Amino acid sequence: MQSSVGVCSSSSSNWLFRFSAAAASLLPSSLTFPISKSSSSSSLITLSTPSLIPSPLRSTASASDSSHVTVMASNDAQDPRLPRISSAIRVIPDFPKPGIMFQDITTLLLDTKAFKDTIDLFVERYRDQNISVVAGVEARGFIFGPPIALAIGAKFVPMRKPNKLPGEVISEEYSLEYGTDKMEMHVGAVQAGDRALVIDDLIATGGTLCAAIKLLERVGAEVVECACVIELPELKGREKLTGKPLFVLVKGA
Amino acid sequence: MSAYRDEDEDPRLHGIKTKIRVVPHFPKSGIMFQDITTLLLDPKAFKDTIDLFVERYKGKNINVVAGIEARGFIFGPPIALAIGAKFVPLRKPKKLPGKVISQEYILEYGRDCLEMHVGAVEAGERALVVDDLIATGGTLCAAMDLLERVGAEVVECACVIELPELKGRERLNGKPLYVLVEYLEV
Repeated sequence: MQSSVGVCSSSSSNWLFRFSAAAASLLPSSLTFPISKSSSSSSLITLSTPSLIPSPLRSTASASDSSHVTVMASNDAQDPRLPRISSAIRVIPDFPKPGIMFQDITTLLLDTKAFKDTIDLFVERYRDQNISVVAGVEARGFIFGPPIALAIGAKFVPMRKPNKLPGEVISEEYSLEYGTDKMEMHVGAVQAGDRALVIDDLIATGGTLCAAIKLLERVGAEVVECACVIELPELKGREKLTGKPLFVLVKGA
Repeated sequence: MSAYRDEDEDPRLHGIKTKIRVVPHFPKSGIMFQDITTLLLDPKAFKDTIDLFVERYKGKNINVVAGIEARGFIFGPPIALAIGAKFVPLRKPKKLPGKVISQEYILEYGRDCLEMHVGAVEAGERALVVDDLIATGGTLCAAMDLLERVGAEVVECACVIELPELKGRERLNGKPLYVLVEYLEV
């Protein structure tokens, strides 16, 4: 083991940044409630996928107004960790282009309790489900996927943009709003019969997740579920998942 | 032929070393690419990798783990979670929304840029920089610059792999570097 012993020398740079109003830009704004824990509440396609989770999951009605909390069904308790997770996510208007309300999870990563809770919620759901593969979509799926994989004893498989993975890969093309993109996975990373999760920070139109599902299924793996921190339900990505269940912690307007 | 240097070492390191795959001539001729994805396919070896870093940094009052896009995003968060630190992604240009600060750095041919969110790291915070590998040290150096510009103290840089022949260690302005594995071409 190579180690270096050294004294940390102070930097030659004397800059100190002052934040003033810049600090306000990092204040998170809440996403709309409710926080849904349903995995397939609005799935229109019935497949023979066995029910994944023994404990009952309930769907909740959507609220479109962030100024009030949706009334939950009386016997439907929202996990107490979810409000803090939701409020730790920052919404940035007009990024990357006008009209898009970008859901920024980096502020969640700055809240050590909320980040840990996020991972715990996924781990609790999947740890007894014999998951052998966690596939994480570049790049924000790389942040959430590995901690989940490590906790449940699964392999982590990065799903990457073209030309990033060395060696032999398989590719799946998918549509963007304008044009197409490609996702790649290493040949040999996943075997037929592997039980896989697909992880990303957010599902929007579902195109990326769909490409990931296809790559896994092409090598004979079973995609058990897709899991994201955030869903944008209006974009109906859930319907693009070829019938696979989707589990999310938070829904955004 | 290539070899990984053996010193008196933690028994977990052998398993880690053997899981790293070397892919010749990627991304271009002459480069022996150190592929850590095969390490990630071995849950025990991946866990051991993280544990080795966590054992080193737990209880050292590290407030921030900064991970360099994209493979630093694989190793940084598990370390951050285990030691109770924030995770701060350092990204290529235009990926981070909102206000950022940028640091340019030199590549073999041309330049690149690393960005960090304004407000993510505060003056006085103790930070680690994590990436899968250190080669020339240019990227790590840019990362350290970003953290120091906001007044953080970079305690150490931590990588799974070092390519010592590229002397990246010397580019770190005296900051310590901790690696698990060295790759030498023999």
